[in-house]
Amino acid sequence: MASQNQVGNIISQPYKYGFITDIETEKISKGINEDIIKLISNKKKEPEFLLNFRLKAYKQWLKLEEPDWANLGYSPIDYQELIYYAAPKDNHKKASLDEVDPKLLETFNKLGIPLNEQKRLSNVAVDAVFDSVSIATTYKEKLAEHGVIFCSMSEAVNEFPDLIKLYLGSVVPSSDNYFAALNSAVFSDGSFVFVPKGVNCPMELSSYFRINSGDTGQFERTLIVAEEGSSVSYLEGCTAPMFDTNTLHAAVVELIALDDSSIKYSTVQNWYAGNEKGVGGIYNFVTKRGQCKGKRSKISWSQVETGSAITWKYPSCILLGERSVGEFYSVALTNNYQKADTGTKMIHVGANTSSTIVSKGISAGHSSNSYRGLVQMGPNASGARNYSQCDSMLIGDKAAANTYPYIRSQQPVSNIEHEASTCRISEDQLFYLQSRGIGFEEAVSMMVSGFCRDVFNQLPMEFAAEADKLLALKLEGSVG
Amino acid sequence: MALCRQWLEALPRPEGVLEKIQRQGRKSLFYSGLPSSKIESWRLTDLKRLENLLKLSLSQETQNISQSNFFNLDKAANQGCRLILDPQLNLNESINLPSGFQKLNTTEIQQYLGRALNHFSSPNDWALAVNQASTNQILAFRVQGQDLPPLELIIPSQKDTLTPTRVIIILEEKVKLKLLQVALGAENSAQSHVLEIHLNKEAELDHGFVALGGGQASCLAHLAVAQEISSKYSLTAVQHGWMFSRLEPRIIQLNGQGSTNLKGLQISTGKQQLATHSLVRFEGPDGCLNQLQKAIANKSSHSIFNGLIEVPKIAQNTNASQLSRNLLLSRHARIDTKPELEIVADDVRCSHGATVSKLQEDELFYLRSRGIASSQATSLLLQGYCQEIIKDLPIEAQKWDILNTLIENINE
Amino acid sequence: MILDISNLHVNVEDQPILKGVNLKINAGEIHAIMGRNGSGKSTLSKVIAGHPAYLVTSGSIKFNNQDLLSIEPEQRARSGVFLGFQYPIEIPGVSNLEFLRVATNSRRQERGEEELDTFEFEDLVNERLKIVQMNPTFLERSVNEGFSGGEKKRNEILQMALLEPTLAILDETDSGLDIDALRIVASGVKKLAKPNTATLLITHYQRLLNEITPDFVHVMSGGRILRTGGGELATKLEESGYDWLDNEQNIKEEEN
Repeated sequence: MASQNQVGNIISQPYKYGFITDIETEKISKGINEDIIKLISNKKKEPEFLLNFRLKAYKQWLKLEEPDWANLGYSPIDYQELIYYAAPKDNHKKASLDEVDPKLLETFNKLGIPLNEQKRLSNVAVDAVFDSVSIATTYKEKLAEHGVIFCSMSEAVNEFPDLIKLYLGSVVPSSDNYFAALNSAVFSDGSFVFVPKGVNCPMELSSYFRINSGDTGQFERTLIVAEEGSSVSYLEGCTAPMFDTNTLHAAVVELIALDDSSIKYSTVQNWYAGNEKGVGGIYNFVTKRGQCKGKRSKISWSQVETGSAITWKYPSCILLGERSVGEFYSVALTNNYQKADTGTKMIHVGANTSSTIVSKGISAGHSSNSYRGLVQMGPNASGARNYSQCDSMLIGDKAAANTYPYIRSQQPVSNIEHEASTCRISEDQLFYLQSRGIGFEEAVSMMVSGFCRDVFNQLPMEFAAEADKLLALKLEGSVG
Repeated sequence: MALCRQWLEALPRPEGVLEKIQRQGRKSLFYSGLPSSKIESWRLTDLKRLENLLKLSLSQETQNISQSNFFNLDKAANQGCRLILDPQLNLNESINLPSGFQKLNTTEIQQYLGRALNHFSSPNDWALAVNQASTNQILAFRVQGQDLPPLELIIPSQKDTLTPTRVIIILEEKVKLKLLQVALGAENSAQSHVLEIHLNKEAELDHGFVALGGGQASCLAHLAVAQEISSKYSLTAVQHGWMFSRLEPRIIQLNGQGSTNLKGLQISTGKQQLATHSLVRFEGPDGCLNQLQKAIANKSSHSIFNGLIEVPKIAQNTNASQLSRNLLLSRHARIDTKPELEIVADDVRCSHGATVSKLQEDELFYLRSRGIASSQATSLLLQGYCQEIIKDLPIEAQKWDILNTLIENINE
Repeated sequence: MILDISNLHVNVEDQPILKGVNLKINAGEIHAIMGRNGSGKSTLSKVIAGHPAYLVTSGSIKFNNQDLLSIEPEQRARSGVFLGFQYPIEIPGVSNLEFLRVATNSRRQERGEEELDTFEFEDLVNERLKIVQMNPTFLERSVNEGFSGGEKKRNEILQMALLEPTLAILDETDSGLDIDALRIVASGVKKLAKPNTATLLITHYQRLLNEITPDFVHVMSGGRILRTGGGELATKLEESGYDWLDNEQNIKEEEN
């Protein structure tokens, strides 16, 4: 009988990105203290303001308590056992890709992110980050013609210090939370995007993050600024090798949208999730926040979360500008012993702001998948509106789906609507598809992707297919 | 912490049939003190108001309730059976129950005390601990037979006094009962009420809980309901007029196939803070839940709803729906609503929803376009909004004229 | 012979529902199975299509001389068995057009035909839509979601038109249809019947059989086929109801 077990089986897929690149790596000694932070800053030849930013954050981090409110029950992290900086030796930025270590290019090829001129994804500029450093950024010159800055954070701090000074930490202050403080103290690299007034960024921008070393935490930092009337679409992808220890990934992403601008930020997260017994995998504790600073500005988060042992992530929007718009579209698939606790915060400050939340959680195996969200209407958010929808699909009877949608309103002239449902793939639906000649696997895959359609529709065209493929990958396999 | 320990020291020695729970409650308070805002379920509470509660004297040393000016009971004359929880009396001895209602003896009381509560042991039940620590009166009875008269249970309060009351009700198999509870408060009084209900197989309880406060009064009410297979529990709760009120219904469906209907209405104005923290847990298959929670917040008031639904693996084929609908009438008022759904069973249908808005413009406009004054139109719409809950109160409630009381006071 | 069912016994949740069904259907024939609710008609149709909730305890079903019971439902469909559902299932989020295309291509693949790309398929589907006089906007919606009863049944016949089955089983396709919709559906079924295919109609009313004349009528009761005859049997049932069956069934049970 085509049972729920079979459905469970076919989403248990071996992880295809689990290989390790054998490359000589320069690592600093493990642990965290002021000297380590000075060392990282020194290695990156950073200006003084940034070192001060780091040291201040470190002091704040020491005072903060590690949170445990999400009930994730993870084994504790020993922060003195982690290495905070690892980079392929000889890592200074190359003038051309031909000089980049072929092993690294090969790594990104294997991950489906070719960096060579000939094979590049057309119309997509890529910043490839390997452990703590950015390896290459493609199409930089072409973007520069339009005035768009797209480079690694390390380059940005030296080349555009004024912009960095102005915006870094302006949306996520280093004291915001435990992991944001840690990131602010030790962040290694990441991407910086600046789209000047009136420019619609001519291509998709993308960063690809790869953790290679087992004992290294990854702390990247992304900052995107869209000036008045500009627009940009950005995508990040993430993978890591299989280690049976847990690796920490604590990123901070800040988005700033000025008047009439729009930022679309999409994530396809496929960090190593641990094995079927729940050993190993990435701890993905990320702070992502966007500020709709300008009038009629728009920030849209889309995410497809399939990896990591534990995900803790709430991409949020602070809607300051009048008529600004925040969006959150999420698919989170968990299997085995994965735990995902994800959602969003929509903080409506300005008048007539609006937000939309669509969250789809699929939980299988022994995993647990939670939606946790906050919609807040401040006293001045008159005419603000929110619509939220969170649906869960359960596969098998050992998985858990939780929803914690939190609503707070201090503004009578505002509207909040929230809907949620839980379902499973019914046997009758499966049989109906099968009776039309559609194979069991494909039927499940069709239903899951139908379930996620509202979210996939939001991904940039170039990546919608990728997300579907990723989900299908998690779904394909032997039918028991 | 200090205030809490001071309060504990002033309590009389634990004694009598309630000795055990008194000790439990005191121990729990001794170590926990007042709830901290770090505890999720108390995060939004104005904790100062809890302190006020502990500054009141306890009911045992105070005057007769007849001297309190609370509610004119004659106005709400009653044909059914009316019980008044007078803290001056030894309830389990002095109250007369109609036929079909039988008081529990001491052994039975000990046996049932805390039994429904124990399904939900949670260290953060501060409201429960206060009651356990201080209560010295209990009314406990079982109900059998058919064609029972509706029961009205009135909980009066006394000036400058905290009145702890404790009730256990057991409905035997197939028994159907209508129960209307009315908790009253005025001036600087406080209620601490704990009710445990056992519904045996196929029993049905239609339960109205009307908490009408006034002045600076506070009300803490904790209801624990254990539902056996195929039983039906309907709660319609109304909170209004308290400076601080917190209702905590906890319902467990023990062996499945139960039916639970929860309706709640809280209407706050002035600086009031009203809260409902509900929990429904399914411990068997084929259960169903219908929950509708409404709130209207005016002036600088604050209305809170937290509704947790737990569907573990054993609860296959559960059908649960929860809806939280809120009206915010003032710029200074605040509404917090937090539905929580925890699901492990895979063959379930669960949905929940929440809305916060003001009164619908088009509805108002429609009424006004027919010549109805704006204020009257508003009042009509608010009545309609409340009526959806109030109509489900047991019929006894009509005499209390609740709807008019609510609408009259909404702008105070 | 297209379908050969022999001594079929089927249980649902340990309850015997079919208790020895025998049925043979040749190419070019139209059969009708009639009977009251609960007689086992729908069970029989689902067992032929391979619904997992039914357990075959003994007997066999051969389709084109091949054992049908050992193969998965999708393989049955690909090799030409089609079941028109009494209650077509709603599948939110899955686009009807996409669903039809994947199904059609899996059948085509089985027959050694080229798969159709999106554009070729749209041409095909637009042509087949005419058979059921269906509005193309239904293609844009999710499978059966929010369709009226009649729309769902037309969508079933559209699927049949695309899959071109060798054996079409239509389970209560006439229920919930007004007379115009019934005519459209019936004419669709007639158009799709070919000399090398067979049709099995399951119904408990004469209505559909006025539109499509069956070659054979079988009457089911208590999990067995009690009586087989020509079109006239259907007329007799319409006139005298099903009560006379009870006697026959009692006799049969006594014999056993």
